[in-house]
Order: sequence, then C-alpha cells, then structure tokens
Amino acid sequence: MSIVVGYIPTPEGEAAFERAIAEASKAAAKLVVVNSSRGDAVVDQRFAQEEQIAALQSRLDAAEVEHVLLQPLRGHDAAEEVLDAAESHGAELIVIGLRKRSPVGKLIMGSTAQRILLEARCPVLAVKAG
Amino acid sequence: MTTIASRLKGRAELGFAALLGAVGAAVLIDASRLAVPYSQSDPVGPKTVPFIVGGLLVVCAVLLVVDVLRGGRGEAEGGEDVDLTHPTDWRTVLPLLAAFVLNILIIDIAGWVISGALLFYGSVWALGSRRYVRDVIISVALSLATFYGFYLGLGIRLPAGFLTGVL
Amino acid sequence: MDTLNLLMQGFATAATPMNLLYAFLGVLLGTAVGVLPGIGPAMAVALLLPLTYGLEPTSAFIMFAGIYYGGMYGGSTTSILLNTPGESATVITAIEGHRMAKAGRAAQALATAAIGSFVAGTIGTALLVAFAPPVVDFAVSLGPSSYLAIMVLAFIAVTAILGSSKLRGFASLGLGLAIGLVGIDPVTGQQRLVFGQPLLADGLDVIVVAVAIFAVGEALWIAAHLRRNPLSTIPVGRPWMGKQDWKRSWKPWLRGTAYGFPFGALPAGGAEVPTFLSYVTEKRLSKHKEEFGHGAIEGVAGPEAANNASAAGTLTPMLALGLPTNATAAVMLAAFTQYGIQPGPLLFDNEPDLVWALIASLFIGNTLLLLINLPLAPLWAKLLQIPRPYLYAGILFFATLGAYAVNLQAFDLAILLVLGLLGFAMRRFGLPILPLVIGLILGPRAEGQLRKALQLSGGDVAGLWSEPIAIGVYIAVAALLALPLVLALVRRRRPQAAAALAAAEGPTAAAAAVAEEPATDRAAARDRAAATDQAAAPDQAAAPDRAAAPAPEERQPHHKDSHSHEKESL
Repeated sequence: MSIVVGYIPTPEGEAAFERAIAEASKAAAKLVVVNSSRGDAVVDQRFAQEEQIAALQSRLDAAEVEHVLLQPLRGHDAAEEVLDAAESHGAELIVIGLRKRSPVGKLIMGSTAQRILLEARCPVLAVKAG
Repeated sequence: MTTIASRLKGRAELGFAALLGAVGAAVLIDASRLAVPYSQSDPVGPKTVPFIVGGLLVVCAVLLVVDVLRGGRGEAEGGEDVDLTHPTDWRTVLPLLAAFVLNILIIDIAGWVISGALLFYGSVWALGSRRYVRDVIISVALSLATFYGFYLGLGIRLPAGFLTGVL
Repeated sequence: MDTLNLLMQGFATAATPMNLLYAFLGVLLGTAVGVLPGIGPAMAVALLLPLTYGLEPTSAFIMFAGIYYGGMYGGSTTSILLNTPGESATVITAIEGHRMAKAGRAAQALATAAIGSFVAGTIGTALLVAFAPPVVDFAVSLGPSSYLAIMVLAFIAVTAILGSSKLRGFASLGLGLAIGLVGIDPVTGQQRLVFGQPLLADGLDVIVVAVAIFAVGEALWIAAHLRRNPLSTIPVGRPWMGKQDWKRSWKPWLRGTAYGFPFGALPAGGAEVPTFLSYVTEKRLSKHKEEFGHGAIEGVAGPEAANNASAAGTLTPMLALGLPTNATAAVMLAAFTQYGIQPGPLLFDNEPDLVWALIASLFIGNTLLLLINLPLAPLWAKLLQIPRPYLYAGILFFATLGAYAVNLQAFDLAILLVLGLLGFAMRRFGLPILPLVIGLILGPRAEGQLRKALQLSGGDVAGLWSEPIAIGVYIAVAALLALPLVLALVRRRRPQAAAALAAAEGPTAAAAAVAEEPATDRAAARDRAAATDQAAAPDQAAAPDRAAAPAPEERQPHHKDSHSHEKESL
C-alpha cells in the first residue's frame, strides 16, 4: 500500500509533507512524493531544486519510511501528475496542501487541489499550513 | 549508432556548404551579366564587388567542405534558454514554420486580426502549451490590440480582410 | 560652439516630458528584455524599429539608447539570481554574483551591479562626450581610401576574432555582403541579384533582415532546443548595500570602467575580455581573496562596471565613424539609415540636435536605470515565470507584425521566413551572426568608398593606399590575420601551463592559475587601447595582445569546473 503526497516548497507543501510522513509511518505505507513542473518557464518556484530535494531525502530517511521521490517534467498539470502517481502506485490516500483563499480568489484562480479532490479515486487529505 | 548520427550531422553541414556555394555562384553569375559602361568616373564598375563577394562565398564553401570532411564541426550556438543536449526538435519547429507559412498565405485575404491570431495560437500550440481556452483568448486579444494599436497609434492600416467593415 | 554647450542643448531636447517618457519606456523595456531569456537588446531594437516609424528620430533613438543600457543591466540580474548568464558579457558577473546570492547577499550583489553600472555608464558616457568630437575632427580629414581601410579592418576584426572558427566567420560575412548587394547599383543604376523580382529592386529592407536573423532565427533555434527543467530564483528584497560594501565596491567600479571603455570602442573588442580582466584584477588586489569563489562583492562590482563602460565605448565609433562594433550598434545604425540619416563622421555636423540629445539621454537613461532598478529588482525576477510558449510565440508574432508593417506586403514575410531559416541554420552550424550583420550594414558603404577612392586616383589601384592612415590600418589588418600563427606558436611554447591547469583540482588550484595571468593581460589591454585610439595598430602591439586575450575562454571552463566540483563535494 502507499500514500501519495503532492509537494511544493511552500508552507502548505511543507505541512502536507509533514503530515504525509506521519501518516505513512503510522500505516507502515510507502510514501510517494510528487513534485512536478510543467517545465514551460525558465523559473518555476514550485519545482524543488537539488538542495531542497536532498533535504527532503534526509528527512524521509530520518523518518524511516519507505519512499519514492518523483519529479516528473512532462508538461502536465500538477494535479494530473499527482493523480497519475496515485493511480500507478495504487495509492490509498492522497495528501495535499491547501492555501487559504477567498471565494473570489478561488473563482479566478482555478485549483490543483480542486481537481485532485474531484478526480481522485481514493480519500484525499487536505492540510493547511499551520 | 553514434557514428550514423555524427555522419548525418556531417552531411547536414555539407548541405549548408552547398548552400553557401550556391549563393556564391548566384552572385558570380548575376555579376557576370552586368554591363560595364566604360566610365572615367567609375573605374571600379558594378561588377567588382559582387565578384569579390561571390568569390569569397565560393572559397568559403569549398574550405567548409574540406573542413567538414576532415572532421571539423560547427559549434552550435548555446544560450540562456537553449539545451543542446538533445537534438533539434523538429516536432516543435515544423508546426511553428507551418503557422508562419499559413500567416504569409492568408494575411492579405483574411486580414491581420485573423491571420495574426492564428499565427500566435499556432506558435503557442507548437511550443507545447495546451491551455486551449486561455491561448485562444490571448491570441485574439493580441491581434486585435495590435490592429487597433497600429491604426490609432501609428496610423498604419493593417489589412482587415474578411472583417472589413466589422473592425 | 563648444562641446559643453552642445551637450546642454542636448539635455534641453532630451528632457522634454515626451522624450523623458521615451527614455523611461526604453529603460523599462530594455531591462525586461535583458532579464527575459532569448531576447537581447539587438533583437529588441530590431523588433521595435517598425513601431517607431511614427516617432521623431530623436525620440526613437532616445528610446533605443534606453533599451541598450537597460539590456546590459537586465542581463546581470538574471546571472546573479539564476546563474544562467544570457550574454557572454555577464558570464563573469555570474561567478561571484550567484555565489553571493546563494549566501544570502543577493540584495548587495544586485545593488553593487546597479550602482556600478550607473557609475561606469556615466563615466563612460562622459568619456564618449570627450572623445567623440576629436575623433570626428580626425575622421573628417580622412579620404575614402582610409575609410575603406577602416571598414575592412572592421570586417576582419569581427570575423577573425569572434567565434571559434574563422572560416565560418568569413562565410557569415560573405552572406551579409551578398544580402547587402541586392538591389539597384547606385552608380550605374543596374539591378544586382534582383532575379527579375520587382519587389527586390529596392534592395532588402535592413529592418526585415535584422528582424529575420535576430528574432525569427533565434526563436526557431530556441524552439528546437527548448530547455525543459525549470530553475528557481533566489528570493530578493530591495537591493541595498552596507558601508563595508560601498568601501569594497568603489575602486572595482572605477577600474572596471577603465577596462571596459577602450575595449568597447574597439571593433570586436566587446565586453568579454574587459569583464574577465577586471575580475582577475580585483581578485589579485582584493584584501578578501579568500572570499573569491564564495561570493566576493569586488568580483561583481568590477566586471559589471566593465560591462557597462564597454557599452558606452561601443557608442564612440558608432556615432563618430558610423562603425558598429556589436550587434546592437549595428541595428541602431540600420535604424539611422531607415530614418534617412547618413551615419558617419558628418553625423555630428548634420544632425547635432539628434546626436547630442541621444548622448544626453544616455546620462538620463543611466540615472533612470538606477532609480527604477533598485526598487523593481524583485519584480524583474518574476518575469522569468512567463511560460516559454508565450514568450517565443510573442517574438514570432511581433517579428511578423514589424516586418509586415514596413511595406504592408506579404512578400516581406516570405523574405523574413527565408532569412529566419538562414539564421536558424547559421546557429546550428556555428556561423557567428555578427559578421553577417556588419557585412550587411557596412558592405554597401564600403563599396561606395572603394569606388570613390579609385575614382579619385583615376583607376589606379595604388589609390587604395594613398593615405598614411590607410597603410597603417592595412598593417593592423595583416597583423590580425597573422595572429592565429602567433597564437599557435605561443600555445606550443606554453604547454606546461595548460597541463597544470588541466591537472588542477579543487577551487584553490584553478583559482590560483587564473590569478597568474593578470600582469601580461593588463599591459596588453593598455597596448590595445592605445592602438585603437589612433585607429592604426602597429603589429607588435596587437600581436602579444591577442595572444593574451583568449585566456578567458581557455580558463573559464576550468574555473567553472572547480565550482561544480566543489558543489558536489558539499
């Protein structure tokens, strides 16, 4: 069994990551960390760089959970990549971070989280930044 | 496999040398057709410089062939946003060129607003964007804005084409 | 009237609200363009040319000047925040600048770059004011044979020095000259390379060619090799500097300026060599040598100043002689012709208002750059998040629009496509772009001078070297052509040094190797600067100079390797 977490280097992403580690060690599940980018801009602040990945890696090692770190660059949306990973790893749970937004902001922005919530085939745990 | 790839690359460069030679030959042939009226005020005449230029190109073409056959390779230009580790991505370039050619063919008939929007949309698609709705909106907005911007701001009337009377 | 008076008048013209607005727009656009990947100042000016047809030439050039200086500045922002230097001129800035940013001193790096650019740009422009009039006085006395010689020097310098392959440089030059031939011969009225196409009879529009080569060719080339992995920028606040930073920056700024200006004024001198020399000098003179390689502020301040001073230096031959030494200057010269203004030494006499307003606007633009960029730096970094498809589709869109707007005929777009493909092929097969552009712009003028020179001598070929200046310049040309031989000899004599470099491991060894060089380099730089001021380089002066100059290309990779090596071991 496995748990998929969508990671971005923000407080929300961190919160999701922390919670996912906790869930994974509780259930002795494999943790699949997905940090994707469409790769269509020179700079994507949501794409973790080498040092950040190394930091994640050491935290995962310290928590002693079985894990996979994915950084797909296929021009797909983050939602697609998370759902894809959940599908292929047969995930039992998806953990995502959620930003606080006003209803108007939600209307304009569209949302990765919304798509995951609507399309996932397994339970989704939405975490907010502390 | 690498040898085939490198041989192909070499041939492509020979093609470029051939192009250089052809341009040089064209310059030389064209120059040889020029009439040179004897004139005290122009001892150089219209032929001299074309002959020098054509000669330079032909010599360069020959030397390039020699260089390529001896294993010389042009160093592809790098850049901030250029990744030379993968080969030329024709699946991006060819659709881009198609969008460009389409624009040339229809701009006078369909008008800039339509052809320009198609050009932008086609290019964005070729370059890998798949956010269809947003792309269409941006394309149309951009071509409309430039049409009116040129007309009102610079007094240049871009062709309205099918939309004459509407715009 | 004396220079100062003229300059004051220039300020009066440049400081009208409308012209200030154009300067502001230019600086803004230039910086944006410098920050964005894939667009350089040459492409920006080419793309904007058609849009400025409705403007007074003075306003248009004020805007172009802003774009030019802004572009230089924008490039340094990306190299500090991203470590992906867009132009070769900012490669050196990236070495220390990016390390400073990683060490949490991005704000100081950006500040020293901005203020250094301002200082160097201002001093450089002042030097331009001081040097341009005497150069013009000197140039006016020259006959056509000397002009021809100087243009030949420009051709050879651009072709033989830049790029890794001279053969490919000459091929590019030949293509440019051939494109320049298209149209009606001005003397005999005969059609050349027109092939019966009435639309070709007026010649190829320089703007269309420039847009094709710089914009279409570049966009296609990038599209063929799109990078897929994104980077992340280092977050910055508003740039600022502490007292210590000021103390460590001001001398490098001045020294960098001293390197940059003369090199910029040289044909093909460019910004690479002076930025490198400045880096090496600062490293040697610094009291904080141990910081080099870990983000030393001197290593940002000096090269950035050198970069901007060279931009100012470039304008000296461009305005005083009509001689472009880099791509942006070449496109700006094309713009002069587009407005029906004849570039050359008579420009100062014929268009004093334009020239002095342009120079005054350089001072203004420089100040605006400083005022705009210090607060806006974080915003510029955001520009890098624009998705690539929009960026490059936008370049193609505006290239098409601009080329079409020139004559409103689809035929120009076909030319745009053909030459765009040529630009693509040139990038693929390693042909440098600059010789083509210089050939295109100077070719027709060189032919005119050749014919005039021989007309004066009554057809006697000796008329080509009838003036002492012409002879001197041809000697310099011969020296340039002989350089590769000298270079090969020098290389053969110094194999130990190369071996030592190759064997060097870890940052300190490579860094030490870089530091060995400066004395000879600096002496050479001075020789070289002196040589061009007289437009006639004796070959002894030029030869050792060139021998020292390629050092940056040779050593940089080692230097960088040592950094990545270090990174891996961390």
